[in-house]
This record gives sequence, structure tokens and C-alpha cells, in this order.
Amino acid sequence: MFKKVVLQKGVNLYIRKTEQFKTITMSIKWISDLDAKQAAHRAVLSNVLQDSNAEYREQSELRKALDELYGTVFYMDAAKRDNTHMISLNMECVNDEYLSTDGVFNDALKLMQTVIFNPNLQDGSFDESVVSREKRTVIERIRSIYDDKARYAHKRMFDLMRPNNPASVSANGTEEGVESITGTTLLDTYEKMLKNDAIDIYIVGDVKEEELVEKIKEMFNFEEREFIRQSLELETNEVKEVRKVFEKQDMKQGKLQVGYSTPVSFYHPDYPKMQVTNGLFGGFAHSKLFMNVREKESMAYTVNSAYAAYYGVVYVMAGIDAELEEKAVKLIGEQIDALRNGNVTDMELEQTVALLSNSIRSAFDSARGQIEIYDQYKYFDEDFSADKWIAKWKAVTIEDIKQMASQINMELIYLLSGREA
Amino acid sequence: MEKIVFENLQETLFHEKLDNGLSVYILPKRGFSKTYVTFTTKYGSIDRTFIPRGKKELVTVPDGIAHFLEHKMFDKKEGDVFQKFGVLGASANAFTSFTRTSYLFSTTENLYENTKVLLDFVQEPYFTEEKVEKEKGIIAQEITMYDDNPDWRNYFGTIESLYKEHPVRIDIAGTIETIEEITAEHLYECYETFYHPSNMAVFVIGAVDPDEMMNFIKEDQKGKEFSEPEEILRQFPEEPIEAATKKTVLEMDVLRPKFNFGMKCNRTDLNGEEMLRQDLAVNLVLDILFGRTSEFYTRAYKDNLIDETFHYDFTLEKGFGFATVESDTENPTDLEAAIRKTLSSQVENWTIAESDLERARKRRIGQFMRSLNSIEFISNQFTTYNFNDMNLFDVVPTLEKMTIDHLKEAFSTISSEASHTVMTIVPGAKEN
Repeated sequence: MFKKVVLQKGVNLYIRKTEQFKTITMSIKWISDLDAKQAAHRAVLSNVLQDSNAEYREQSELRKALDELYGTVFYMDAAKRDNTHMISLNMECVNDEYLSTDGVFNDALKLMQTVIFNPNLQDGSFDESVVSREKRTVIERIRSIYDDKARYAHKRMFDLMRPNNPASVSANGTEEGVESITGTTLLDTYEKMLKNDAIDIYIVGDVKEEELVEKIKEMFNFEEREFIRQSLELETNEVKEVRKVFEKQDMKQGKLQVGYSTPVSFYHPDYPKMQVTNGLFGGFAHSKLFMNVREKESMAYTVNSAYAAYYGVVYVMAGIDAELEEKAVKLIGEQIDALRNGNVTDMELEQTVALLSNSIRSAFDSARGQIEIYDQYKYFDEDFSADKWIAKWKAVTIEDIKQMASQINMELIYLLSGREA
Repeated sequence: MEKIVFENLQETLFHEKLDNGLSVYILPKRGFSKTYVTFTTKYGSIDRTFIPRGKKELVTVPDGIAHFLEHKMFDKKEGDVFQKFGVLGASANAFTSFTRTSYLFSTTENLYENTKVLLDFVQEPYFTEEKVEKEKGIIAQEITMYDDNPDWRNYFGTIESLYKEHPVRIDIAGTIETIEEITAEHLYECYETFYHPSNMAVFVIGAVDPDEMMNFIKEDQKGKEFSEPEEILRQFPEEPIEAATKKTVLEMDVLRPKFNFGMKCNRTDLNGEEMLRQDLAVNLVLDILFGRTSEFYTRAYKDNLIDETFHYDFTLEKGFGFATVESDTENPTDLEAAIRKTLSSQVENWTIAESDLERARKRRIGQFMRSLNSIEFISNQFTTYNFNDMNLFDVVPTLEKMTIDHLKEAFSTISSEASHTVMTIVPGAKEN
């Protein structure tokens, strides 16, 4: 679906020419190893680069320039995947065809070139006032997790299950990590990012391919580099006893997180089977959790499961009355047992495969969806297509589900609830 | 079937009003593999006092009933409707807003079978006392979940502070107490009144053949019996110009205070073109005064009065309208002062110039083009506009014709200090 052009060793361009959209979407990803200290630097760096540059020294000036380009979208963000950290530059502009003027895409590319290669430096270092403001922004972002109780419970579960592991390292680093940043250390991170990171550039839209390749080569002239992804050893320690951790805050609802470990990770040949198993367990409105915990027992409004495949963790999230924690955990456990015993109808299996297929095909209906899904799955196959992956799901049998479910082991019960409960 | 071509946007819309009063809209999108179908009734949480179909007297029903009804529509004698969609590979959902209840699915296969499931389940009510009782536990958890969500509390708390009488001030889901009062009989009464085809619209967008789909829906509707369309009589209380309360402070277990500045709009009787112009004009003014290129934003961001959570918004419906400017902040007092100063200085001395309008206009046109990539956006926005006789595809021409005088006039509908309110959520004192 994407045409790949190797611009340099370690620098790849992926183009998808399509008339589906009225805009052109570009994403540049810089990939490095994940560590908490560098994560903090890279989170702040992506904010600093997004704020201003040598041509537009003030954020408002840069934003005015973007508005003039028919509200071209530009933002940067920091994320993690597996044991890597990723800085993304994202741009989307209206295809000139739909405007009375032209040259918008070209001007937007030039602006992105400035953002990357011409940052807002003062006397050879990043502008201190910008750095300190963006440090604060990232600290506020880290702290804000506490205010969103569902996110907080989710984070606590990973902290407790996988301490000192990429699974619990935040893409924003830690508050202390952010505090320690100076203009000089940030410049060092910036230079390393340009020089050492693996780089993937994506462009989706109605573009002229050959012309564009030449343009990108010329405008984004990165040197060759070598980035070797370190493979992550899964922590699947034998679970002797399920850990229970209950914490209290001033709130009304109980946020229950049940964490399971599994040896089946993203890189495991059984990965597609585990995706289907998780779908049956709690991925959809027909899934076992929804039907039994919500519809049958009326115990919850939200109850679903998710599969953090890179870290070998399956987990359940439910909003319940805290007093019903034991009953909820028992019911949740019974759903895993049902899967282990093959207590699954052909209809349930078909529904799950049909909805997984619908979700991947639907995601392909947005440019960003195309980029994000391909970017993950290209690891398996550079000619990845939704249909190829769907075929793997379709091949999953109830026998496979039994096997997968028997490799999901409860490790942690975490409940965040109100003080009076 | 009516065919409307929007040449500049390269979009074609098909429309027909069926004999039973149902409006059907179809918009094919090239290159898309999914189809998104919504079935919407012009019935939301604010429709609480009305004359039920076949009756003569006004009734007031318990709060939260439109949302409760939405939940119960999925539960049929033969089981849960999600199961049917699941077998057919469609992802289904529904939502209730102040003014609408929408049922929808998206699918990449079995389009007609799924459309049939949607039309049937929305048009065949099945409520029993037992099932109604059972749902109360689920909805109580939903209400509790939102109670713990500070952003939600901040937004809805602001509306409650702005409105003294109008039912927009009441939570869409009601409260744990009001949903206790709901009975199957209530649900049937509301259903009969508001789910008549003449009060509803179907919108189909994505991978679809317009002729085939239109015929399919027509045939389906012909096979069902409906009573004659009747006008629905709703009643709304008189709303004063002033905000209900000037200041509201709520304690929650948060680390960072959350701030919201609400402005009640005093012109909510427009429809069609005029309403669209006012909606867009207020948005442009907010862009110019509070957007990322504004003096306000630049200063407030540098002074740590606002952060990444900063955003502003304008909602306009028939009978109510409000603008909000919100952010997490360590310093609610200074932020409030900065917002008030931005507003009052425009009231005293209008400085918005042609160049500001030009830039904001370009940005909004680009944003609109971008949003046309999203079939969910088109569908939801089109239906919202349509229920107020506005046309989504008039957005660009209306923006192009916008003048400074339009902005001035639109600003005057939200700028009066008396109709402003301030809502703050502050970290609460911890017990224990």
C-alpha cells in the first residue's frame, strides 16, 4: 500500500498516492531506544520544536503562518512503542486542488524543513525561556494523569506489574527527568536525534510521486545512520499468588484493573490468535465481559479488556461499585475460564473476527490510520495489507482460543476507589 | 430523488423525503471502504415537557429519559442488538445529546443487512418493566463515572451556572434519583411522540450506491405502518439574559485546578442561513480573540495561565447557545481577569481588522476541508445543521461572504458581562 524509497541507510520514505482525501498528510518519525531520562528530553524537545524556530521566533508568528496556509495542521508529539521512543512531526494541509490558490503543500513542506533544521537557537543553545516554559508544560502533562482516574488506575497497574521496565516508562519521562533539562542537554538530544535516530517519513495524498521523492531528498537531507532495535525480553515470571493492591482517593466509582501476563507478545507467531482471544474476552459489545458483567449482572457501564502486545500483558478495565470488587473479579475470572474450556460459540468467534476486520479496514479510511497501522505492521511485511492480516484472524479456531486463554495468567488486581467505601 | 452537486468540494448529495415523512440523505465518498449510517431523531435531553402523541395536555417526564430510552432500544425480546450487528461485521453505537438521539453503525461488509437491522431495531420498540429496572444499575454506573470526571463536571457545571430555567442545565443522563422514577410506560410515551419518521433522518455516507440504497430504504419503509405525521408541541421556559450564577467552585480530588469561563448567547431564535452565519461568526471571533495567534493566548501561555488543555468552543442550537473558554491552570484568578479584559476591551474599542478576519477565514476553510475527510464528522455535523435548517455545505460560501460587521454583531450576542459565569474545580481537602 505504501511505496518505499530508501533515502539513506536508516532513512526511509513511504508514499501512498490516493485521491481519497482532500488533504495531504505527512508524518516524520524519529526512533531511538527508550529510557526514562532521554524520554523526558525528547518530550520537551518535541514541544520546543513545535513552539518556534529561527524564522518564526514566536509561537504566534508560526501559528499565523500556518493559518495563512489554510489552517495547515502542524504538531509534534512523543510516544513509545515496545522499547523504543518515537518523536513524530505531523503535518496536514489542504490539497491545492480544492483551493483558489496553489503552492500550499510546497510552502508547508518548506515550513517543516525550517522546523527540523532551523530551530530557535540563541547563542548556540535553545532559547532558555522557551525551554523552561515547555518543561513546565510537560510536567503539567505528567501530573494531569492523577486527575483522570481511569488513566491513573491504568498507569498504576503497569507501574505495579512491570516496574523498571519499558512497559511502565512514560514517553514523557518523569517530573525529575524533565526538571534536570537545560538548554545544553536539550541541544545534545536534538543533535543525536537528527544524527542517530532511525527515520521514517510518510506522505499520503494526491501527490506526484517521482517529483515528490526528489523534493523530499533535497529538502530533508538526513545523513545515513544505523539504528539497531534491541529486542525486549518479556517478564513472564511464574505467578505464585495474585497480588492485590487497593488504593483510595476522593471519588465515587471504583476503577478496577485486572492485569494478566502472557508469553505471547507482538513478535510471537501466535500474536493474531491472541488478538482474537482478547476480542472474545472483552474487545467488543458482544464480548464475554460486556455480555456477562454489564448486561447480565448490570454491574458496570464500562468493562472491557485490552492487549498490550509488546509487553505481554492482557488487562481488564471496569468501572464498578467498589463494594462489588470480589464479585466482579470472580465474574471476570469466569470469562477467562470459559475461554480456556472452549466455551465459545462459532457465532462469537465469527463476530469477533468480523469486528476486528471492520476496525482495521475502517482505520484505513483515514490517512493517519493508514500511516499508524502500516508503521506498526510493516515490521512483519513491507507489503502489509489489511486483507492479509484478516486472513490470519479468519484461520483462528476455538482450539486456538483454548490454548491462548490458558496462557493468560492473572497477576494483579488493582482497585482505585473512594475513601468511604 | 434530489441530487445536489457541490462542485468546488467535489461532493454530491442525494436527498428524498419519503411518504411517511422520513428524510433520507446519501453521500457517496470515493476511495472509502467503510459506510457509516446514522438514524437520528430530533429528540434529546431538553425535550422534557411536551404534549404526548394522541394526548392534549402537557406532561413533564423524569430527567434522563431520552438517554435511558437510547440504552433500552438495543435490548430486544430476542436479545441484544449488538449481537446482530456483530455477526454482520458492523460496529454499532448510539448517543444522546441535548437535542438529538442518534443510532449508528459503520461497516465494511453486509451494508444492506446492517441497514435493515438499524431501521428495524429503532422502529420496533420493546420495553418491559423488568428490563427497565435492570438497566438502572448500568446507567447509575455511567452517571457515577461522569461524576468522577473533572473535565465533564467542569463543562456541564458551566452550563448549569449559565442557565437558570432552560433544561439544557440538566445532565443528559439525569441523576441516580431521577432515573429511578422511569417506567416502561414513560419510554413508550416518549417513543411514540418523538420516534415518528417525520421527526427523524437517515444519513448514509461512504462506500454506497445512492440509487440502490434509496430504493432499499424506501421499500423497507413501505413495508412498515406509521400513523400520520403530527407536529410535536414542546414547551420551554423563559430564560433570562443574566447567567444563573456568577461563580461556582467545586472541590474534587485533582492536582490542578480546572477553569471554565462561560458566555451565554442571547440570540438563539435564528435558523437556516442566519443561524449558520452567526455560528460561524462567533467561532471566528473566538479564533481571533483566543486562538493561538491571539495576544491573549501568547501572553497567557507565557505567564503560565493556560496550558496544553486550553480550548474554546461555541455551541448554538434553537433556544440555547453558549461559548466556553477553558484550561487547567494554577492561577484561576489571573486567567479570569485576562479573559474578562480581552472581552471588555473589544466591547469598548473594537480592534478586529480585515486582516484578522482574512486569516481566521482561511484557517476555518482549511479546517472544514480537512474535516470532510471524516465521514463521521460529515454525518454528525450534517444532521445537527439539518435539524436547524442549515446546510453543512454552505459553510465555505458563508465564510467567504463574512464581513467585519457580521463579526461585530455576533460578538454582541455573547459579550454582555451579565451573561458570563466562572466555574472552577479546585483540589479538595483530603480526608484521613
